[in-house]
Amino acid sequence: MAQYFGLDKIAQFFKTVKQYGGLKASLYKLYRMDSLRPGTLVGTDKYGNKYYENPSMFYGRNRWIEYAPQYGLEYDGSQVPAEWFGWLHYKTDLTPDKDPSRPKYKWMADHTENLSGTSGQFMPYSTTRPKIEPWIPPKRC
Amino acid sequence: MLRITLGKIIKGAKVSPKYVYITTRALSGPAKPPENVEVFIDDKPVHVPPGTTVLQAAALVGVEIPRFCYHERLAVAGNCRMCLVEVEKSPKPVAACAMPVMKGWRIKTDSELTRKAREGVMEFLLVNHPLDCPICDQGGECDLQDQSMAFGSDRSRFTDIDFSGKRAVEDKDIGPLVKTIMTRCIHCTRCIRFASEVAGVDDLGTTGRGNDMQWGALTSKPYSFTARPWEIRKIDSIDVLDAVGSNIIVSTRTGEVMRIVPRVNEEINEEWLADKSRFAYDGLKRQRLVTPMIRDNNGELKPVDWEAAILTVAKVIKCAGPSIGVIAGGMADAEVLVAAKDLLNRLGSEALCTEHTFPLDGSGTDLRSSYLLNNKIVNAEEADLVLLIGTNPRLEAPLLNTRLRKGWVHNDLDPPKLAFREQWEALAGKEYKPRPVVASIGPEVDLRYPYENLGSNPDLIKQIITGSHTFSRKFKAAKRPLIIIGSEIFERPDGAAIFAAVQTLATKSSCTDENWKVLNVLHKVASQVSLYYRLIMGGLDTPGVDKIREGNLKVLLLIGADECSINKSDLPKDCFIIYQGKLFIFNAEFGKVPFSIFHKTIKHSFLGHHGDYGASIADAILPGAAYTEKQATYVNTEGRAQETLVAVSPPGRAREDWKIIRAISEVVGAKLPYDNLNEIRDRLDQVAPHLTKYGYAEDANYFKQAEQLAQSIQGNIDNCTPLDVKIKVLEDYFMTDAISRASPTMAKCVQAVLKQKQSKY
Ligand code: SF4
Ligand code: FES
Repeated sequence: MAQYFGLDKIAQFFKTVKQYGGLKASLYKLYRMDSLRPGTLVGTDKYGNKYYENPSMFYGRNRWIEYAPQYGLEYDGSQVPAEWFGWLHYKTDLTPDKDPSRPKYKWMADHTENLSGTSGQFMPYSTTRPKIEPWIPPKRC
Repeated sequence: MLRITLGKIIKGAKVSPKYVYITTRALSGPAKPPENVEVFIDDKPVHVPPGTTVLQAAALVGVEIPRFCYHERLAVAGNCRMCLVEVEKSPKPVAACAMPVMKGWRIKTDSELTRKAREGVMEFLLVNHPLDCPICDQGGECDLQDQSMAFGSDRSRFTDIDFSGKRAVEDKDIGPLVKTIMTRCIHCTRCIRFASEVAGVDDLGTTGRGNDMQWGALTSKPYSFTARPWEIRKIDSIDVLDAVGSNIIVSTRTGEVMRIVPRVNEEINEEWLADKSRFAYDGLKRQRLVTPMIRDNNGELKPVDWEAAILTVAKVIKCAGPSIGVIAGGMADAEVLVAAKDLLNRLGSEALCTEHTFPLDGSGTDLRSSYLLNNKIVNAEEADLVLLIGTNPRLEAPLLNTRLRKGWVHNDLDPPKLAFREQWEALAGKEYKPRPVVASIGPEVDLRYPYENLGSNPDLIKQIITGSHTFSRKFKAAKRPLIIIGSEIFERPDGAAIFAAVQTLATKSSCTDENWKVLNVLHKVASQVSLYYRLIMGGLDTPGVDKIREGNLKVLLLIGADECSINKSDLPKDCFIIYQGKLFIFNAEFGKVPFSIFHKTIKHSFLGHHGDYGASIADAILPGAAYTEKQATYVNTEGRAQETLVAVSPPGRAREDWKIIRAISEVVGAKLPYDNLNEIRDRLDQVAPHLTKYGYAEDANYFKQAEQLAQSIQGNIDNCTPLDVKIKVLEDYFMTDAISRASPTMAKCVQAVLKQKQSKY
């Protein structure tokens, strides 16, 4: 009956708001991530990103990430570290901590996000000889 | 030598039309015109003078016969056989380049036999030629490539797939400029003929070829493997490294000058080009000023932007008022000179000077005849007597020297008789002794042709005038004498007196031809003549830096003046103190002052010390454009105005020179009334109308008047100082200005010359 009138949605809304920690926090989440979805937290990576799952949603929308608060609005997909990438994209159903077969070597580099557009970005430079050699004024001693 | 003798016989016998032409010009007597003969080229009738070769006759009706060894400006060799054509009723094909036509000949340039002959010759040429055009520097502009496409066989009979048969020759190193590719040589002997006939260096030869003699396809060494002919842009321009003003083509790719090659101009450089002009282009890429600089409080030159530079400079100029002076260097163009002059006049100053002095006594610069090469370069080859006074044309103006040499090769007072005498001498086993028609007063230098050195005492001029010297007999006998006086004479304190004496001497000749100008001045730098025009206009200026030394200057603008003709100590001390040495180096192209100092340190191994001094002279540097980077007017030593075109853009923040002056003038508050090239060209036109008649050299006149004015000159010739020239030997030639001093290739040339001097061969 309640389902018929869609009242369960209201109940779910309140549940979600509660999960997100109040109305104000939920509005902020909505502003930051454009959606409010109830879900269970399956893990957190070392950068503070949180990974959620809600199997009742349809496939493709049922795993998501909530970027760590320090990113603010400046989050993007490259901040997902490699070990979570697979789970988030349905390559595997095992989260990193539940997957014993993942290789771990000393030489594996830390994850870096894409730095394009920031001061840390890679700038291509020419290794060829400059066409014009300028005159450099001699130093006074 | 044998070649020359043969050439003279040919000339005497009037076989080759080339020589006939020259001889008739040289004799200029009323030679009776020989009757023309009629021949048929591919059934087209053509009337030509007897002695015309088949190849030239064909060219008259627009039929081009393929050739490798034939070159209009060199003696006929006839050894490539590419020009074989069929002549009706002749049993064998004839070599068109060497065979004079006979009456009624029917020449077939496109017959079966001709084509077969060409294919055969081409096949022989290619038998020993590598098949690797893609890695060859000549590829894309190669005559052999083109002609094998057009006239070669359409299939190959080359079956030597084991690579056993092609000729291999040890490579030769003939210096830093020319690269030899021995295996690609097709033995046209053009290089040999060029070297011995035009350049006068019998270094290349045909005997003992293979491993003993230098000989091979020649390409440009600095240009090797850098660019392809189809990817470069070609811009017509003018060379400014000497006062001849040779016409050049600047080849550029990706905004970089890749090479410079000559452009045909019969009146100036024919199709030759001097080594420095051709190879010093890599100096355009080094030691460049790319940003304005101002000396800061610590005395260091710091890069600044244009706004700061112009504001600072303008402020200082404003404070200085009329005590401002300009020294122009050798490569300043007419536009910047007129702009600088206008600016100075607006500020109430007159002190625009050149680095090179010119006497103002007598006619001074008022009459063009007293500072131009009046007789024109092209006429130099017709002279029957040349007197060089204080100049070394081989190194100061190499292309004028090739003209003189050409005259020496082709003209004598009586060619057939002389040719006979030479022939007779050769038969009698006597040493070949050409008649010296060139004489010089000045130091003994190597001109690559025999000449008579009269000594270097200036008194000789007087002696020739009075007739007490034996040479004066020859001089009086000459119908077309030529006196060429070097511009260095004017730098002597008694320059005016010497010049007056030379003017008198010139009027003493027995030349009756109205159009033949005996008196000629040969300049060394490209800007000199256009500067004189400037001087006429201004009236009061002094060429030479003396005025700067005397004047109480507070600001000095150097326009590419790098010859170190001014020292800081020459300037009033208070100027230095009040303005903290606000000397402005307006440096047209390069870090010139310091660079010329580097040059010195090489010579005297005086490192460091001079460099500091050089740096101390400039307080602000405004980077300008070099001659390949601006559209600018230059006047050559004949008074011929020519313009350079923009081939590449100026590096970094450098700008066209006259625009910088224009910008400063606006900030100073003395705005010059021209904003673009057309407007400043209009101004040039006002100043001196011939400055904008490009390519045209106006005749100079008023020799008599100049000579009369010269009589009024006070002062005596200093007979104790012999006449001298600065550039005496080959190693002095290569590095004479900011561009060539910055050029690594030129530095290598100097090394090569010095090395060769030391070698015991
Ligand atoms: S010189 Fe020979 S290899 Fe070089 S481009 Fe010409 S034909 Fe080809
Ligand atoms: S062009 Fe005639 S033989 Fe070479």
